Amino acid sequence: MFGFSRSNQQRSQFEAQLKPWLDGLYASALRLTRNERNAEDLVQDTVMRAWRFFDRFEQGTNFRAWIFKILTNTFINGYRRNTRERSLQDESERQSVEARFFSADQTEQAQNPEEYLLERVMSEDVLAAIDALSIDFRMVVILADLQEFSYKEIADILDVPVGTVMSRLFRGRKQLQKILMEKEAAPAPMGREPVDLNAFRERKKLA
Amino acid sequence: MTCRDLDTQLTAYLDGELIAEASLSVENHLASCEDCRRRVEIERHNLNAIRQAAKAAAPVAPEHFKARLFENLRRDGDQQRRASMRRFAALAAGVTVALVVGHQSYRSYQRRLYEQDAAFRHARQLPLEITQGNEGVQQWFGGKVDYRVNVPSFPNAKCAGGRLLNVRDKQAAYIRYDGARPMGLFVYGDDGDVDVGAEPAMGNSHGYNVVSWREGDVVYQLVSDLNEDDIRELVPGTNAPTTAPVGSGTPQLDVRPASLKQ
Repeated sequence: MFGFSRSNQQRSQFEAQLKPWLDGLYASALRLTRNERNAEDLVQDTVMRAWRFFDRFEQGTNFRAWIFKILTNTFINGYRRNTRERSLQDESERQSVEARFFSADQTEQAQNPEEYLLERVMSEDVLAAIDALSIDFRMVVILADLQEFSYKEIADILDVPVGTVMSRLFRGRKQLQKILMEKEAAPAPMGREPVDLNAFRERKKLA
Repeated sequence: MTCRDLDTQLTAYLDGELIAEASLSVENHLASCEDCRRRVEIERHNLNAIRQAAKAAAPVAPEHFKARLFENLRRDGDQQRRASMRRFAALAAGVTVALVVGHQSYRSYQRRLYEQDAAFRHARQLPLEITQGNEGVQQWFGGKVDYRVNVPSFPNAKCAGGRLLNVRDKQAAYIRYDGARPMGLFVYGDDGDVDVGAEPAMGNSHGYNVVSWREGDVVYQLVSDLNEDDIRELVPGTNAPTTAPVGSGTPQLDVRPASLKQ
């Protein structure tokens, strides 16, 4: 009657739908916030918001995409402000997606001739490289390559056109490879890296 | 398709996101272009290497965190349920209080309006339609109003007569008593809209004291310029204007039909 009263049945339904994706939500939150405490807070906020809006979720539709949309929105609206990251969104949406696509391709192609990454690229190097991406690229890479959402789902989650998803993913992956190649070429990059690897490894040990 | 065209579609091609025709046209190009074939192979290898490495290191949500999360969820649900119960209870209580208070004050207000109008009409000393004693007046009202008018007797006051009039659009029987000071008694058939009980309540208006009480569905208002103490002697059990009706219930007024009195 007052919109908030829920049955235990509804809650167990929510919990059952949530459980399979909690690890994915947490892993994504960790890449977004780059900090375990913030990641837990972000997931907590996401789950609470999802629970509050659960009666607006259409049963039978994509719960996973729905809750990841809440995750990214919660992150963008709250946590991103604290991280003081510069968004590429305004810039990239101002120009046409196609134009960016080509120009980005050409410049990055020239700077970054293609080569094979090591067969066994270090996991923590990949994670550190993802963390080093700017936020718009990081979000699509997380959703596409870590969570393996489709372009359409990512477009829905981030509220951007599919073309934008594709262009960001293309450029995000390019950057990712570039970072990893540079690491392979110079295996002691401390101090030059945009992320604090010591702190990162400390966190890994704790996890 | 040219090699440049492939650039724009490579990502989608590797992700299997191209529609069938586009995918076919990429494959046609690859079949004929050694460079692009190599590029696609490198890209696919790197993408897989990155994905696998990331997957291998995918963190899982700590158990203590999950436990806390579900506990919070449960508590939040309970809190919301309780909050909604509280909201409902508060709302229901608020509505009840508002209804009771509103109705109460409405009825008090109604009584006040009747007091005012009765006092006003008594002050005008309207001519009587019948000048007789208790019994004659009581008989005269019979059949003229749709409720039974009992004409009470008051000590040191004599029934002078009566008439019909309206008080606030409500038909009233008016009985005048002559004594030390003239008094007027208004008798209404009541629909329950005047807040008065069996116990006489004192009010005042237009320089008159007005005592109201109820006998079943009939409401009496005695208007007089006697002081309150004298009125209390006339109408035993009368309360002061500000005090709530407490104590002994019925007035010791003899309001039985005059015909039944000795």
